[in-house]
This record gives sequence, C-alpha cells and structure tokens, in this order.
Amino acid sequence: MNLENKISFVLDGKIQVIDFNYSEYTPTTTLLHYLRSLPTHKSVKEGCGEGDCGACTVVIGENNLGGIQYRAFDSCLIFLPSIYGKQVITTENLGSADNLHPVQKALYEFDGSQCGFCTPGFVMSIYALYKQDNIPDKTEVTDAIAGNLCRCTGYRPIIDAAEYVCNNKNEDIIDKSEKETLALLNSVDKSETILISSSEQKYYLPFYKEDALKLRNENPQAVLVSGETDVALRVTKKNELIPNIIDISQVKDLKFEKETSDGFIFGANYSLEDIRQTCEGKLDALYDMLCVFGSRQIRNRACLGGNLGSASPIGDAIPVLMAYDAELTIENINAKRTVKLRDFITGYRQTKCNADELITEIYIPFPTKDKIIKSYKISKRKDLDIATVSACFSLILEAGKVKNIYAFYGGMAAWTKRALSTEKYLIGKEWNRNNVELAMKELANDFKPISDARSGEKARQIMAANLLLKFWSESGE
Amino acid sequence: MKNIQHESAKYQVSGEAIYIDDMQVSDRLLHAYIYTSPHAHAKILSFDIEKAKNVKGVHAVLSYKDIPGRNQMGPVFHDEPVLAENLVECIGQAIFIIAAENQRAADEAMALIEVEYEILKPILTIKEAIENNSLLQPERKIEIGDINAGFASSKHILEGEFESGGQEHWYLETQICLSIPGEGNEIKAYCSTQHPSETQTIIAEVLGIGKHEVELECRRMGGAFGGKETQANHLAAWSSLLAVKTNRPVKLRLFRDIDQKITGKRHPYYYKYKVGFDDNGKIIAADIEHYLNGGYATDLTMAILERGMLHAENSYFIPNMKIVAKPMKTNLPSNVAFRGFGAPQGIYCIENIIDKIAFALKKDTAEVQKENFYGIDDKNMTPYGTKVNHNRLFVIYDQIIESSNYIKRKADIDKFNQENEFVKKGIALTPVKFGISFTTAFLNQAGALINVYNDGTILVNHGGTEMGQGLFTKIRTIAALEFGVSLSRIKINATNTSKVPNTSATAASSGTDLNGMAVKNGIEKLKKRLADFTANLLKREHQIISKPQDIIFDSDLIYDKNYKDIQYKFEELIKKAYMGQISLSATGFYRTPDIHFDRAGGKGNPFHYYAFGMGVSEVSVDILTGRLTVLRADILHDVGESVLPNIDIGQIEGAYVQGLGWVTGEEMKYDDKGNLLNYSPDTYKIPGVRDIPHDFRVKLLENCPNYNTIRRSKAVGEPPFMLGLSVWFAVKYAIASVCKHDVEPELKLPATNENILLAIDGLKK
Repeated sequence: MNLENKISFVLDGKIQVIDFNYSEYTPTTTLLHYLRSLPTHKSVKEGCGEGDCGACTVVIGENNLGGIQYRAFDSCLIFLPSIYGKQVITTENLGSADNLHPVQKALYEFDGSQCGFCTPGFVMSIYALYKQDNIPDKTEVTDAIAGNLCRCTGYRPIIDAAEYVCNNKNEDIIDKSEKETLALLNSVDKSETILISSSEQKYYLPFYKEDALKLRNENPQAVLVSGETDVALRVTKKNELIPNIIDISQVKDLKFEKETSDGFIFGANYSLEDIRQTCEGKLDALYDMLCVFGSRQIRNRACLGGNLGSASPIGDAIPVLMAYDAELTIENINAKRTVKLRDFITGYRQTKCNADELITEIYIPFPTKDKIIKSYKISKRKDLDIATVSACFSLILEAGKVKNIYAFYGGMAAWTKRALSTEKYLIGKEWNRNNVELAMKELANDFKPISDARSGEKARQIMAANLLLKFWSESGE
Repeated sequence: MKNIQHESAKYQVSGEAIYIDDMQVSDRLLHAYIYTSPHAHAKILSFDIEKAKNVKGVHAVLSYKDIPGRNQMGPVFHDEPVLAENLVECIGQAIFIIAAENQRAADEAMALIEVEYEILKPILTIKEAIENNSLLQPERKIEIGDINAGFASSKHILEGEFESGGQEHWYLETQICLSIPGEGNEIKAYCSTQHPSETQTIIAEVLGIGKHEVELECRRMGGAFGGKETQANHLAAWSSLLAVKTNRPVKLRLFRDIDQKITGKRHPYYYKYKVGFDDNGKIIAADIEHYLNGGYATDLTMAILERGMLHAENSYFIPNMKIVAKPMKTNLPSNVAFRGFGAPQGIYCIENIIDKIAFALKKDTAEVQKENFYGIDDKNMTPYGTKVNHNRLFVIYDQIIESSNYIKRKADIDKFNQENEFVKKGIALTPVKFGISFTTAFLNQAGALINVYNDGTILVNHGGTEMGQGLFTKIRTIAALEFGVSLSRIKINATNTSKVPNTSATAASSGTDLNGMAVKNGIEKLKKRLADFTANLLKREHQIISKPQDIIFDSDLIYDKNYKDIQYKFEELIKKAYMGQISLSATGFYRTPDIHFDRAGGKGNPFHYYAFGMGVSEVSVDILTGRLTVLRADILHDVGESVLPNIDIGQIEGAYVQGLGWVTGEEMKYDDKGNLLNYSPDTYKIPGVRDIPHDFRVKLLENCPNYNTIRRSKAVGEPPFMLGLSVWFAVKYAIASVCKHDVEPELKLPATNENILLAIDGLKK
C-alpha cells in the first residue's frame, strides 16, 4: 500500500501533487472546492452542490486505449483522491478573453451567456461533446447539456452554439499537448493501493479487485464508493464526516463489458454512459431508461454496482434489470456467489450483500424472442430528475393470452417491488383493454404509496395504473 | 444595427469574469452562518449563546442585542427584524449570526446554541389566513363604472375561484455579500444586489452610521430576477454586523438549500371572480378579488399587489370593473419581487376568466380575446383612469394569427385529438399589455456620472445593476451612439454608491429606460461644453465663425457641419479641452415625466407607456403519464425601436421559458408545519434544455418606435414572461379534449405531471 499520503494528477499541463500531510484538504474535499481554492480556476462555480445544475462541470481526461478520453463531470460530486492519475480541464485551460477557444467563441457569438454563472459549466459540457469522434445530432447535443441549468437564456442560443461548434471542429489547444499529457498520465503509478489518511479519515483507492476485496474484508465498516454521486451528498449537503471510505472507481478489473451469446456482463464500476451506448439496439428497455437517467455528467460517473447496491426505492436501473432477470456476482476474499437481482434487495436500502463483499459483475441475459420488455419513468422533468414512479414490465403472450407477466415498480414502496396481485390477476387472461383496465384497479392492492415533494399519493396511484395501460398500448396487442 | 455581444460575455465564457465569491480577500476573511428558526410560529422565551461563542474557530455569535443601530430591514414597511427578538414568524427566520473560520466550527457552535420556544399555531395557506383575518396591511380597491348595473344587463354570468402557485427565483449564483470594515466607521460591501442604494441604507441603519460611511459595490450578479431586490439587503445587514463586530472581512454566501429554504418566492394567489358577458363573450362587468400569500412580513407585497391590480384587466376593456386585493399574512418566509411583480398573477386571473367565457360559449378563446381588446379610438379607458394610447394589440394579433397559422393548426389539432386517445394536443394565445414605470412615482429617477479622461477614454457610471440582462451592454451602446464615438472608448464601471448616489432598484424592467436617459443627459452636458470649446477653437485655430449648435460628434470626430473638411479627432479635442481647463466630467439625471397615482382613489397615470406582445404555444400531453412537450411557440413582441435586437431577443426567450416554468414544472409544497419540501434542485425543477419549445420562433414587432424614451425603445425584461402562460392554456385545451370539450378541466397552476393527471382524473367523474 502506498502510504505517502499524496495524490498526483494533471492540471495546467503539469503534474500536480497534493500532499495531504501539509494541506488544508481532506480526503473528502470535493474537486469543486479544491479548484475554487486555487486563484486560477475560479470559473468552476457552485450552483447547488448536488449535481443538479452543472455549474461546476469540468472535463476529465483519462488514459484510454493509448489515447485520452475526455468526459464531463460534476466536480461537486468528486472526492479529491479519485482524480488520482487523471487530467482535469476547466474553461481557463481552453482559452482566454482575447484568445477564445472555438467552444467559448461560439457561446459568445451566439449570445449564449447572459448572467454567465452557468456559462463555464456549459463550456465544459459542450467541450466534452466537441472532443467526441462523431458529429452529434440535435438529440445528442441536448443530451450533452441536459445536466446544465440556465435560468437566463431559455437555452436556444446555447443549443445553436453547441450544434454549430460541433459541426466545425478543429485541432485545439488540448490536442496539441495530448502526447505530453499522455506521457504525464502514464508516469503516475497505478499499481499499489493509495491510502489517504488524516487523524479522522481513511480513504483507500485500490486499483485491483483483489486489493479491493482485501480492503473490504479488513474494513467492513467502510463506506464503499465508486462514482460517489450519492455518497458525496452526505458531505456536500450534510457536512458529514465519513471516517472510512473505499473508492473502487479506479479498479481496472471491474471496469469492463463482455457480450456473450446469452447476454451482457458488465463490471460493477463500468459507467452507466458506457452501458447506455453499448446497449442501444440490444437491450431497449435498459437503453430507454438510461437515456433519462440523471444527466450525462452523472452517467459518466455512476455505475450499476452503485445503483443496485444502494437499493434506493427510486434507483432507475433496478426495475429494469429485475425485468431482465439480471444476476449479480458478489465476492469476498474467499468466495464468489451469484444472486438474482429479484432476490437481492431485502428492504429500504438493504441488500443481501454482506459487509465484507463486493458486487463485482452484473449479468443481463438477452430476453427470449417471445418476451416483451418495456421500461417507463415518470418524473416532473424529463431530464436530470429522479423518478416519481418508474416501472418495467416483462410479458409473454400465448395465443393472445398472458402466459407470464412481471411488473416491477419504483417509487411506489420503500424499495422496488413487484405488483404481485396485479400480475396474478392478468395471468391466463386475454391481453385486452378491458382486462388491463381491471388489472389497473388491482394495483391499489399492491401498493400504498406515499406523498412527498415529488407527488401526492393519489397521483402516484394514477401513474402506476396508467403505466400498465401505456405498456398495453405499446405492446402490440 | 450589427449585433453587439454582451459586454461581459467574453470574460464569462473564458472564466475570467469575477463574481463576489471569486474575489481574492485577505487571509483574515471569516465566513458567516445563520442560525434560523425551526418553527413557523413561536415565542422565544429564552436563549443561551455563550457556549457557542467559545468554540475554537468561532469569532462571533450575535443576537439582536448586539445590533448597534436599528433592528429592522424591511424596505418600506418596518416589520422585518434583522434578527428575531422574542417572536419567530416563519421557518428560516434569522435569530443568530455566526462568524467562523469554517463550516465545521460554525456547525459545532450551532449545536451548542440553546433556545427555549413556546410553539404557536402557524397560518400557512391563504385560506387559513382568510379564516383568521390575517392581513399584512389594509386591502386596496380599484373601481370603474357600476358592476351591479353591469351584471344586471349581462346575459351570462360566471363566478368561481381558483389559485396560482409560487415560484423560486433559482438565480444560479446564490445570495452573497462580502463586507470589509475600514477606518473608523467605514465599511465597504460587495453585494449581489439589484438595489445598491437600499442595501447601503440598510447597512447604515443597522450599524447606526451615516450612509456616507458605507460604500456598496456590485459589478455583476449571477442572476437575480427580483430575488435580489430586497433580500440582498438581509445578507448585507448580517455580514456587515459580523464584519464590524470582528473587525475582519466577512463573507456570507448561502448554500443552495439554505437559500431556497429561507428566501421568499413569487406570491401565490387565490382569486375570486364574477363576470358578466354577452353572447359574443364581450365582458360587461367583472368583480375580481386577489388574495396574496405575502408570508410573514410586508416587504414589497403592497407594490406587487398594486401591479397585480393594475394588470387585472390585461389587454381588455371592461367598462364596469371592481378589483379588490388583500395582502394575507402567513407564517412562511416573506414573499418578494419576482419578474412580472404581480402582473403575471393578475393577468393569469383575467386570461383564465376569458378562457372560461370561451368555454361556456363554445367559442375560440382567441376570438373572445379579440372581442374584448382595448379599442383604438374608444373603449380605451382602464379601470384606474388612464387612457390606453398607442395600442398595438390589433397589429400584433393580426400578424401573429397569420404567422403562427393559428386557425389551420387549431383545426389540425382538433382532428389529431379525435384520432388519438393517449396523446392530446392543445394550442393557445396569450396577449400582454404591460405598464412600464415604478408605480411608486418618486422611484422613477436615475443618475449617472460620465468621466472623460484626457486620453479620450470614457468611464460611464450609472445606478443600474447588471444581472445578466445586458443593461451594461445597452448603456454602453447608448453612450457610444449619443457621444458619436466607438464602443472601444467606453467602459461601464461597476455600480457603486460612491459614484452615483440615491438610486432606485434595477427593477420594473426600467433599467435601460431610466439609466439610459440619465447617461444621455450627462453626455449632453459634456457635449455642450465640448461644442462651446470647439466653436472657440475653430475661431482661434482656423478663423472660422462657428456656432456651438453646429458642432457635430460623429465617428470619433468632432467638426462644424458647415466646415466638414476641418475635423478634430475625439482624443485630440479632449486633450485640447483638458489643456484649456474644461471640466471633462458630468453627472446626468432623469425623472420620468407625468407619472402619478392616487392610491386611496385608485386613479391616476402610473405608467409612462405600455409594452405589448403575444405568444402562441402548441403542446402535446401524454395523458397517461402527464408528460408535457412544448411543440412550438411563436412570439411577436413590441420593444419599440430595439437598441440591441440580440439582447432583446435573449430577454424575450429567457422570460418566456421562465414563465413556462412557473406554469408547468415549478412547484412549492409544504408540510403541515410550514417546512418547504422542494428546497433543492433535486425536487424543485426549473425548465431544462429539453423543456423549451422544439420549434421556437421569436420576432420583434417592426416599425414601431416608442415615444419619449431612450432611442425610441421599450422596456423588455418582464413583459414577455406573461407569454409563457400560453403553455398553460394550451395544456388546458389538450386536457379538455379528453372529454371532447364538454367539461372544463380543473387544472391547477402549475400544470405539473401530477396536476395534469389529477385534472384528467377529475374529468372522468
């Protein structure tokens, strides 16, 4: 284990070293607060401290297949140690007022900045899109900036600027030093687990599954994070001091995708955005859900291991993967076991994963041809919102009758639940409007939802029932 | 005119623009934290803050007893203490303030504060306030004609009640103030405020010092929308108190959740109405009551209530009308100014009534709207006794009905709705007639200070503040045009109370109208001096008989129009004027002419002019999920002769989208103790990039110079906000089609997915 209590990363074209023995930073200082503490990166703004506005968006470059992959992240949701060995880019690194980067120039010329507080965040989200290989269409452009809020412009000029600049790409200032940056990134050793510690906190950053499992075994009380899109809020919103953290975001052998003839296997910390891109056209219900999951910044960071492992009642991936009958691989230092996701969650934020175990893989079988699987998410706002009610259905019809149906709902109970009596009611019946409407009434027996900030109980009941009807209307009777 | 970009945008895109939290301050800087009431209504029986003061890293814990001046921060009515004394009247009301080195020390101190409360029953809703006759101030009335006679001669009568919800400003930059003590009583504050002079005043009053000791500066705000018109004063009072007590710089920046919990919102309204009309939908009489949820303190509620009343008839001539408005007091944070300032609520009320009339008569709403428009030559008297001049309603209506293809699209929508069960569409038009001026007449004044330096560069100071709306860009453009020089010579200074004193808030859409005129006045004084000097110079240097009134300032050149071949470069002439001992600095001043309003009688001439506009929105609604999509919006808006069309279009688009947010996704829910449930962007949803119209067509009305305003332009900040209402009415239309327009939907405002589904569910019963 590396006990130097230091992290190294690339900023402003140089390797920067933070020595936690001699600095004001703690292991859970966020990247946002670190950057704002510097005199030279004040562009990075705090708008909300919870990843819901994008004002703190930065681009992070990572060594990927011999090149650098650039992606946008909310810097308020990143603990400092997890940028170890990566490149951080802010709008100051792209250009200055008298020498604007094409992305900055486009926003300027299209009147995309009024009060300007959200602007650096938009610059960075658009910049990540600019660095992609493809020329994005309008859907992709709006997806790339759906994680950024603007209260002044009404967005139209920002969309226009982003479309224009991504259709007129050129080699830029970051490209010009990419080789040097790559060499710097490669010079950072990523073999020994990094430990950042203070008198109050210990933060472990392992690079291999074996090390992660060992740490899990030795520190069963530690909070496990990967994308920390959930756990970071305990620090930013509640000022909580988390004493022990194991960060598995850089564990290489958990970051993978594998397609077999039966289905997909995803590593536990493989990003949701990678999964979204992979499963397009192959796992439609999952793809549909991931398209409205958080924002691009969140999906770049969040992973299935976290979304399933935290067992939130409104975790977007849970009902979908239950409908696909996904299977989790769970390991400790001694053994490996598999658990069906349908059996995995045992209560409000409770699972069958023991304190010494890690979710390591998620297997999603391809549905058989006779299965119709569709997912739905109802939220107040289409993007960057948490589900009020979500559902995923899996249906097999035989001669117009329901042979088998699974209905999984999020947001209707303390954890994702099946509508068992509704399912039971439908099995064996004709899959027609009349029976579906009768089944909608059954749902009242399955769920007693709550009223909260997102919706009242009554509307939740209506939503849940309507989603069954929507599924029927789209399942090609 | 060629597009001129926002003067700060270059620095904003590159990250160089400095907001208050970006300023480098000395390492003696302390951070301020507020201890707030956990109860909506309670007596404070006793408190102990001594233990908290001893926490390491804590430098001050102050209560109301530590205030050297006046414990009062209400802007007009003095019912809002800086720190609570023996009573708290809302959750989030400040009781103590703490200066600490970091959050952790402050948290520890807060945990050690002890307060003994006697909890009282809170009043949270307008209806509870009505039942308890809980008013902030006396009600107000405006009346014209005879409503009883009007109802007696009306063939149809409708009456009922409905409501509209609040709205959180959600400026991207949360409230912030940095206070730095100087020598003696001096204090300098950098505050994100729309009203530097009032912020200065409150600091002076709370500290018990003269205003000349307080310098207030604001270079830019990261958005404001009315939320920093009075509430910035609170931050400034708190941070300045701590700065003086600790004799160190103190910065108070609210974390988002705290900002949302403790600051006021747009006023929720409850409306009662009775309306009489004929077979064509022509309104003969209307009796309207506005009930505002003002929260616990008056703040600007009376001015908001007044603007709501003065827009209660929107664009319509109503010969017999009575408007009564009541400012209800509740145990919520005091509600405050928000873009539109009561007008959106007043206009929503009458527009919904018009829509109900159209529904009752089975007529197209746009036809009923047109039937009721103010006339050009007659039928043009408002309920408050002002004649509507230069009426552009018909011009705009005819153009937008045509350009939006309203009639054909509505027919297509009806056909679509017949053919589709689960997706319904709707279309609606909303007109706006918005009165421009502060309705408190004396506020319609502005000052400027123009400094020409002897190298030919010009520094313009004025009393307006930049919150993103492009005021500085417009002022800079106006100054260049008025002075006949290039833009590059002109810089706009940060707004500073030591440069221009006694200013009004940048509010009521009036920033350019007032400050542009004041700047023009200052420049005219300088031009007069320079013209006199030039005429003399021409005589002396070229033996020309030149009159000052013939001197032209154009394209950075100064010359006599009769001797165009002899020209002085601007900087050359300025140098000569300096050497000739001519003053190169001048103040400017402007007051809007002929504005008066008698509040007791409800009559007068409260507005300099009206801004007009219309919007047509088309939506689709997934009636199973309540998902709303704005398919297309057409806007035609009257800004007079635009100073900068790109800036004006930015204001119109932004205002429309903010209005769309108010009427669709933005919703405030409270628990029964008065806790706001939607206190972070996690659950409070402003429009995102995919919520705007998929097809967004914004046009400025052409060939429509304004009268007697800066460069014949019109104010633009607030009026287009109301056009977002068209989205709500389009949603209502789509929902009504579920029952083939037989039953009027009871749709709440905002039309969230929840409220849409409940309205549809209501139709089935």
